[in-house]
Amino acid sequence: MTDAAISERKETGESGPREDFLVLDSVSQHFDLGTGFFGRGSRGVIKAVDNVSLSIRQGEILGLVGESGCGKTTLSRTIMQIIRPTSGRIFLEGKELSSLSDREVRHERINFQMIFQDPYASLNPRMTVFDALAEAIRTRHPGVRGTALRERVVELLRLVGLSPAQMKKYPHEFSGGQRQRVAIARALAPEPKLIIADEPVSALDVSIQSQILNLLKKLRRDMGLTMIFISHDLSVVRYIADRIAVMYLGRIVELGDAETVVDDPLHIYTRALMSAIPQPDPRIERSRKRVILKGDPPSPLNPPTGCSFWPRSPIPHDERMKVVEPELVEFHPGHFAHDCPFCLQRAA
Amino acid sequence: MSGSVEAVLGADEDVGREPATPEIERGASLWRDAWHRLGKNKLALISLFVFIAIALFCVVGPFLSPWDSQQQDLMIGAQGPSATHWFGTDTLGRDLMVRVMEGGRISLMVGLIATLVALLIGVLYGATAGYLGGKTDAVMMRLVDILYALPFTIFVILLMVAFGRSLWLMFVAIGFVEWLSMARIVRSGVMALRKQEFIEAAVSLGYSHRRIILKHLIPNVLGPVIVVATLTVPAVMLLEAFLSFLGLGVQPPNASWGVLINEGQQNMEIFPWLLIFPAFFFALTLFSLNFLGDGLRDALDPKSARD
Repeated sequence: MTDAAISERKETGESGPREDFLVLDSVSQHFDLGTGFFGRGSRGVIKAVDNVSLSIRQGEILGLVGESGCGKTTLSRTIMQIIRPTSGRIFLEGKELSSLSDREVRHERINFQMIFQDPYASLNPRMTVFDALAEAIRTRHPGVRGTALRERVVELLRLVGLSPAQMKKYPHEFSGGQRQRVAIARALAPEPKLIIADEPVSALDVSIQSQILNLLKKLRRDMGLTMIFISHDLSVVRYIADRIAVMYLGRIVELGDAETVVDDPLHIYTRALMSAIPQPDPRIERSRKRVILKGDPPSPLNPPTGCSFWPRSPIPHDERMKVVEPELVEFHPGHFAHDCPFCLQRAA
Repeated sequence: MSGSVEAVLGADEDVGREPATPEIERGASLWRDAWHRLGKNKLALISLFVFIAIALFCVVGPFLSPWDSQQQDLMIGAQGPSATHWFGTDTLGRDLMVRVMEGGRISLMVGLIATLVALLIGVLYGATAGYLGGKTDAVMMRLVDILYALPFTIFVILLMVAFGRSLWLMFVAIGFVEWLSMARIVRSGVMALRKQEFIEAAVSLGYSHRRIILKHLIPNVLGPVIVVATLTVPAVMLLEAFLSFLGLGVQPPNASWGVLINEGQQNMEIFPWLLIFPAFFFALTLFSLNFLGDGLRDALDPKSARD
């Protein structure tokens, strides 16, 4: 299946898929809470994204998973340059986005677009579907109007499976699934190469989720899009992603091919996430072993030192790993994990 | 003949259209929904008609009346309502109906223009503060707080002393006070919207700040702004009446409803009609604008209406 996926990618790209399509080089996003009212004492720094390095192939779907508050959304906003990174560099097709001025970034934006989580909040309630799409189309083709514009809008609506007859309607006249299709059409309107989907199905009904997932898969296949798919739901990510990155407290703790990460996870955090997926078969479900984590995720305002997972791990850490920060190490070809001997241990 | 031409044109249009495109369905904008809801609110609708009627009475009325508001007739003095002078005459023998009409013109003009001034400054100031946020916002809003704390009457008296009395100065003075609450409302609205995903979407699509403010932010805060503006008009008219009552506002021979009411109350026991007519129109206008504002709030924000 992996080979098939790769050959599929070769067909879509003209000169073969680019390995370094999107590169994150030690990207951090720290929020300084500032000083007190009279400048006395810092209130601290939140390390929402901490030293993340990642390389994404052209045409692949990278799944980004982690529990809420782990920095998935902040990372997506950072890649989108909605919030500029505190440190580190971001390259899209070799072009460094993080060093561009605000004005230059605005012109680059047609190449990378975002699909938001809540389709009820991501569309301007005062604009018709036609107006919203037309506005987005003009970001790449400023001069287009009249019949040509209309044709392009109709084409986009057909692409995402909406009837062009509905283009003069307002967002509140659509269902959640239809709105998410409008939002996807809007993200596709500037003809981007990279799409970041931030929990695009978590606000939707389960029966609608699969429709949207299949639409995204189809768009990737037909248009050769590269996609970062963010979710806290591993069963969804397993279905759509080629590779999976697992995030914990602003860092990537495991990265590898989707099947390997799901079937043979290295890090105990990934194993805990995997064991939380309910199995549809009652016999397997009954024998499902759960890795139970202790407590809540720690506050990123005051994160634990060393292997940040030690306060929650069922396996006790020694004093060294409570101080030394583990590195992301390649254990098998293409399969990376945080090099903490305790987190990598299989629980008895 | 003409029927066949139409048929040919119609056919042409069909060819130009996407063959599989069915009839385009018209969407219902939120504005249209709001208008529809307002139409169902009897009290608001009646208020709207009453207000329009009063405005027409004041604007068109003086042209139809045989009397001139400045024309004095000391021989007749103050007379009660009669067939020749429907509302009676004042102590100088001037026709009260024309005086009420022209006073209404000034009162309404002050109300509308001062509100417009407040609207313009308030929306721009508030939207800028809310959109920029951070330190700029803090400084801008502290300035508003300071201006809020200034006693209004002293401020107006100072202005009158410095620049002399004029109608335009009054627009400025009142507008200058009323824009403060407008700015606060717009700012809080914009700040709430800025966190919404559709604004983030507009940013990530690379739209300019101008486009984001004008097409995405302002249309979405306009609802509460319209409501506040409607409720500001009567507040401004009251302020004008208050200033005129103190002798700081409109100067004779011009009159506003506030001036007329002031004159009326001085002779209230002997010539009650001098108080009753201007007070009646003034109260009616205030009522209708307040009911209209309430109706608009319910229509534009149906969620709050159910509470």
